[in-house]
Amino acid sequence: MARMNEDAQWIVLMGFIVSFSFFFLAMILNQATVVGQTTAESVLDFPKNDVRDVKAVIIQSSSVPTDADFRTDLQSIALSRKNAVVNYSVTLPNPPADIHTYINIHYNNGVTLYDEMWASL
Amino acid sequence: MVDCDGQLYTIEGVSAGLIMLLTAYIVLGGTSIYTPGDTHISDMQLEQLGSDALRMMNTPVNGTMTESPLQSMIETNNGAGFTTTFLNYCNNMTGSHAENLQFSASVTYRNINDGQIESYPLAASRNLTGGEHAVKVTEWVIADKKFTGSNVQKNRAALVEVLLWRG
Repeated sequence: MARMNEDAQWIVLMGFIVSFSFFFLAMILNQATVVGQTTAESVLDFPKNDVRDVKAVIIQSSSVPTDADFRTDLQSIALSRKNAVVNYSVTLPNPPADIHTYINIHYNNGVTLYDEMWASL
Repeated sequence: MVDCDGQLYTIEGVSAGLIMLLTAYIVLGGTSIYTPGDTHISDMQLEQLGSDALRMMNTPVNGTMTESPLQSMIETNNGAGFTTTFLNYCNNMTGSHAENLQFSASVTYRNINDGQIESYPLAASRNLTGGEHAVKVTEWVIADKKFTGSNVQKNRAALVEVLLWRG
């Protein structure tokens, strides 16, 4: 029986390496869908617009006449529709000692906790 | 009897076996997602578009301390004006084609009498059938209005909620 031809072992070895590389590239490609989905989900879950919006309306409320009903409106609607606990306190300017308005904003929807102290210019 | 023939075939066999085992492992152990992977990405973009449109509508003209267009739409219950402006902001695109976004908007307020959170419809460009794949965008508004349950007109916080979908 003829001996097996042992030429070109390097070429065959390279063939193995290339096929393994393709295999792992395919695995990485396979993850792309999941990565896109989870990234978009994270962006959807993060309440960026809610936080900005709450901040904007609270700052705006400091320059128009509001009473306790306004605060209750804000807090109960946020709790009911956004599952978010919102609280804030406004320190109005005290001229001439201090001409700034200070607002403390607290936002917590159970996943994202946000606190800010805002000061007017 | 052991000899050294066929080593390459052995290596090939072992490699092929490994690849098949790994494939089986990954296929069986992998997570399958049966929704198109792009859905969430377009949802995210739609949500951002709607939020931006509402924010533009809630910005006073020329940056003055007057009421924003959205505020006066809530106060006067101007659903037609809301429809026009909102669709204009959402559907405009560069080029000659317009986007085909539809919406259904409502206003959420607190009934002072019983403390309940209530909503009333503000405007809709199309009726909801339940089959839409909609996203929800919201905007807080300070409205100088006598909401249901209130006897005096004063500044109240209300939430404009818009369901937005590609029609």
